[in-house]
Amino acid sequence: MTRLTGGLIDRTRPLHFTFNGTGYKGFEGDTLASALLANGVRLMGRSFKYHRPRGVLAAGSEEPNALVSLRDGARAEPNTRATVAELYDGLSARSQNHVGPLHRDLLALNDLLSPFFAAGFYYKTFMWPKAFWEKLYEPAIRKAAGLGELSMLPDPDAYDRGFLQCDLLVIGGGAAGLVAALTAGRAGAQVVLADEDFRLGGRLLMESDLLDGAPASDWVESVRAELASLSNVRIMTRTTVFGVFDHGIYGAVERVADHLPVPGDKVRQTLWRITAKRAVLAAGATERHIPFADNDRPGILLAGALRAYANRWATLPVAKAGDAVAIFTNGDDGHRTARDLLAKGAKLLGVIDSRAGARALGDYRVFSGAQVTGSKGRLGLTQIEITEGGKVSWHEVGALGVAGGWNPNLHLASHHRGRPEWDASLLAFVPGQGGPQGLIPAGAAAGKGGTAQALADGARAAQAALAELALTAPQIALPEALDAPAAQEAFWHVPGKKRAWVDFQNDVTVKDIKLAHQENMRPVEHLKRWTTLGMATDQGKTSNVSALAVMAELTGNSIPETGTTIFRPPYTPVSLGVLGGGDSGPHFRPHRLTPTHGWAEAQGAEFVEVGPWMRAQYFPQKGETHWRQSVDREVLAVRAGVGLCDVTTLGKVDVQGADAREFLNRLYANMMGTLKVGMVRYGLMLREDGHAYDDGTCARLAEDHYVVTTTTANAGLVFQRMEFARQCLWPELDVQLISTTDAWAQIAVAGPKSRELLGRIVDDFDLSNEAFPFMACAPLTICGGLRARLFRISFSGELAYEIAVPARYGHALMERLMKQGADLGVTPYGTETLGVLRIEKGHAAGAELNGQTTAQMLGLGRMVSAKKDSIGAVMSRREGLAADRRRLVGLKSVTPQEQVAAGSHLFTEGAAQTMQTDQGWVTSSCWSPHLKSYIALAYLEDGDSRQGEIVIAANPLEGRELRAEVVSAHFVDPEGGRLRD
Amino acid sequence: MLIPHPLLGLRDAQEFTYLGDAALMNRPDPDAPGAEAAFCDYVFLRDNPAGVHRELWYHEQGDRSWLVVTRNTLTHEILGAELASDVKAGAAQ
Amino acid sequence: MTDLFPVTALGDSAPRNARFGALTLSENAGLALASLALRKGQAAPAPFGLALPEVARAVTSGPHGAFWTGRGQWMIEAEGLAETDFAAALQGQAPGCAVTEQTDGWVAFEIASDTGAPLEALLARLVNIDPRTLGPGCCVRTGLEHMSVFVLRRSETRLAVIGMRSLAGSLWHALSQAARRLED
Repeated sequence: MTRLTGGLIDRTRPLHFTFNGTGYKGFEGDTLASALLANGVRLMGRSFKYHRPRGVLAAGSEEPNALVSLRDGARAEPNTRATVAELYDGLSARSQNHVGPLHRDLLALNDLLSPFFAAGFYYKTFMWPKAFWEKLYEPAIRKAAGLGELSMLPDPDAYDRGFLQCDLLVIGGGAAGLVAALTAGRAGAQVVLADEDFRLGGRLLMESDLLDGAPASDWVESVRAELASLSNVRIMTRTTVFGVFDHGIYGAVERVADHLPVPGDKVRQTLWRITAKRAVLAAGATERHIPFADNDRPGILLAGALRAYANRWATLPVAKAGDAVAIFTNGDDGHRTARDLLAKGAKLLGVIDSRAGARALGDYRVFSGAQVTGSKGRLGLTQIEITEGGKVSWHEVGALGVAGGWNPNLHLASHHRGRPEWDASLLAFVPGQGGPQGLIPAGAAAGKGGTAQALADGARAAQAALAELALTAPQIALPEALDAPAAQEAFWHVPGKKRAWVDFQNDVTVKDIKLAHQENMRPVEHLKRWTTLGMATDQGKTSNVSALAVMAELTGNSIPETGTTIFRPPYTPVSLGVLGGGDSGPHFRPHRLTPTHGWAEAQGAEFVEVGPWMRAQYFPQKGETHWRQSVDREVLAVRAGVGLCDVTTLGKVDVQGADAREFLNRLYANMMGTLKVGMVRYGLMLREDGHAYDDGTCARLAEDHYVVTTTTANAGLVFQRMEFARQCLWPELDVQLISTTDAWAQIAVAGPKSRELLGRIVDDFDLSNEAFPFMACAPLTICGGLRARLFRISFSGELAYEIAVPARYGHALMERLMKQGADLGVTPYGTETLGVLRIEKGHAAGAELNGQTTAQMLGLGRMVSAKKDSIGAVMSRREGLAADRRRLVGLKSVTPQEQVAAGSHLFTEGAAQTMQTDQGWVTSSCWSPHLKSYIALAYLEDGDSRQGEIVIAANPLEGRELRAEVVSAHFVDPEGGRLRD
Repeated sequence: MLIPHPLLGLRDAQEFTYLGDAALMNRPDPDAPGAEAAFCDYVFLRDNPAGVHRELWYHEQGDRSWLVVTRNTLTHEILGAELASDVKAGAAQ
Repeated sequence: MTDLFPVTALGDSAPRNARFGALTLSENAGLALASLALRKGQAAPAPFGLALPEVARAVTSGPHGAFWTGRGQWMIEAEGLAETDFAAALQGQAPGCAVTEQTDGWVAFEIASDTGAPLEALLARLVNIDPRTLGPGCCVRTGLEHMSVFVLRRSETRLAVIGMRSLAGSLWHALSQAARRLED
């Protein structure tokens, strides 16, 4: 055990957990990383490429090394950073990326082969033979390299989404963020304060600084309490703001239940979309290290992390209590760590300071003008080599803290073309010009890293934001604080021949950067891709700037001349589950149900998704074992008697206004202006480019009142297009539109006995052919006074009607029709039968109206009125379209039992099958129980003059071809007598 | 993005669907000489400026209005939004 | 009187109600709806004594209410009149206007709580609308889980979510799941 005294852990609440199956104990307030270190566990994983033993480098979300798999079974989550995994009782974690036990990884062999894995190795090695890539190289690389593994089980947890709007979003709850939130909170602004940690305070929790003479955590608690008491402030801990999007929209993930043993009823994580008028980026800073030979052993950490573990978590990353600790630094900040460690009772070897003439700030030894030039310890640090004034010496140490300076966490500020600027005095990039509008960096994120500096800067940033929002900001009494000395000297890496790691997560060394330079991959974008530097899940938070510095040194340019480093969302990895942010399974997306859905379910119908709708596909009866049996029965029942189908899904648009007639005339390609009240007409809409768009019916209910129907699939789009025409093209017309799709349950009653059946439910309404002919429509009442609309239209080719009633009566109407029609053999039918009936009748549907076809091809060329303008009319007459000779035809398989597959291409018999000889294609096909043959609809060159000819329907995908006879597309009742009787 | 709806104020772009160049409101006269060429232009040719662009957005999950939004395609800065019917009616006067 | 029996939008014989902590959800099956749109140049009528509201506002007068749906367009509500021909009644009150029957086009869920806070917490899970712009007397049409809905703040403690009738099941699922998750 390496627990020190103090810290922000609750020793009265012990927590038990396991790592690689071994049980350990930690306390509430621990992270998995701090608890493991407190138990003397330093080895936490293996590196990506070389399988080098690795431990924690950092104490926060920038951690590149200590990636573990948390939880078991379906909840197992790979690649979690142990440094941000909040400890809970029963936590189970495993290390990753090793074969065999962690301390004896068989793939550690890779480390010996490292000369082969240098920069650009993927590009150089796997060039040839090409065929080896998929079968050999890729699987092998995936196995050897990489991170944790997925459970391959469905995720059992629930995720949620939410929306917040605020005046000020404060990103980060450290010194600057807390002051900013308090300033804005007291000003009465709507404030959201988000912090990725489970406890507010940021770096203040990790430091020994006093605020107003008391521990900083006291001040943090007082601010937290005040903020929590303000109804206009929302505190969100465990919440990472991961990206900035246009116009002040921020993405954030709240880890609601990741710290609980089992989420229970709670969602695991929530994706928040936060719309903020202004935001303060108070995300702090990330320390960088100084690459030196063998600098990647467990026990070598960032010095600030060492300090954090000692101060906040009361532990040290040494193998056993009493082991000495050393600090390697290029500035004063390393000395701050040294003093804190001494205060915590750690045994300090001393501070190795690269600056000549460096002095101790306390009672410890300083190696000035010195460097750490090597390390030993197979699975964890045991010794370091110090070179001071040409003298080399080895020293026993259990841990080494490396302090290379701090990089402001400007990630979010670089999201919208924000270009970081080099600050020569800070030796770091700071947020520069551009970047997200309304985002104000503050505190350490803006290069103001001292405690007093950060507090004051947080107030400044909030005041600036509030002033822009015309809110008066109060002056906040800031606690008394000191800025620790922060002088430093540029010192980027220790020269040497051995490998010195720059990017730990992707195993990129100084040597790799040198090689990239040598191979002319010098621009920073090339450097990144050639070496994979910064391309790991941490996006190079601890490595990018150091790498730039190394490249700058090699090229002789300055760092800002060499390039800069910007970051993409997400700031830290985000699980795909929470990005889905909603339901999975049956509620993955909303489903529209027809008014007879419940009834159809009770009949045992099979359903099919049609766009957002669930429609009955067919209604299996007792003894039917194959869908075809059901469909054949339904088809024949319609043609012989009467069938019922819910067609509510067709889009319905109510069109009113003095100019409704003119409006519809311009919308439809065919003449609609002559339609009389009480009649319905088929209507074809074109796109403005002249191709067919959608078809349906148009019913004129009154002089200035029409109801238009659309296909199910295009209902929303046609409405949108009608609004476009109304608002953007012809706003001078008096037209009012509203969708009524859901308002009416519409049931098709089709078949020779449909009139007889309807006659049994209408109230005193003359259904005779004379009184209510084909294409008539009328309002009426049924079943003793229920309002209804009746349309005599037919999609099946039979005598048919569609009857509409208020949707809540759809269910009862279906039941009534079934009851009243029992002696007529009334049969419900679904979309499959609907499809067969319309193919048999040669009616076009989605497969024929696929966006490539013209009215001529559909055989409707004469419908396109030359007497008037309409959308698409002019372009439909252009040569390229008018000259198209393909026409809709019917095809009948010469061998009736063989299906002409939709998508097959047509050729003349004996012709070579090439693009040039292509004669058309098959759009729809089905078994026709009526004709006892497979039939199809197709577009065929000169199709209207080729009836009786045999063509070849070729299906090269399946290597099949079939002979088929060209026939009329109207397989059933080509004269249309049945419709009209 | 947030679209400044002239009636409803700032609304999230997720409520809208995008069509493109507002020149689509300028449907050519079908009876004018050279109508086919004019339509060809109208249907197939669009400016795609890197910078300020007037474009059509439809408030599908809102009041169903079509808007002409002036947006800088480089910065996504929105310089204004008007009801398309007002724009069209204004142009006709 | 017809001898057919209606079903609710959720497919039941009676409206559905549920309580989740501070929130109650109830299907309002009796709400009659009809749309009203002005003809070109027409002055706004005052059907049932309703002063047709401004953009994004709703008004009520006795059992009747009206909310703005678009420029020159409103939805008119009538509590408990779903079984009547409400569109015809409205047409009588608004001669010359474009009136369309909408009662069965929608499902209305009324959500109530003792205080406003739970309603706003629920809204934050459902719609991307600032609750500060959705005080009593306000309405908005927006997206909710990919569905288009009207949200009406009937009072500090009452909210109505009106969605497409065919989506009633999905909407109920979305509302009740969000309400349940807020329970603790």
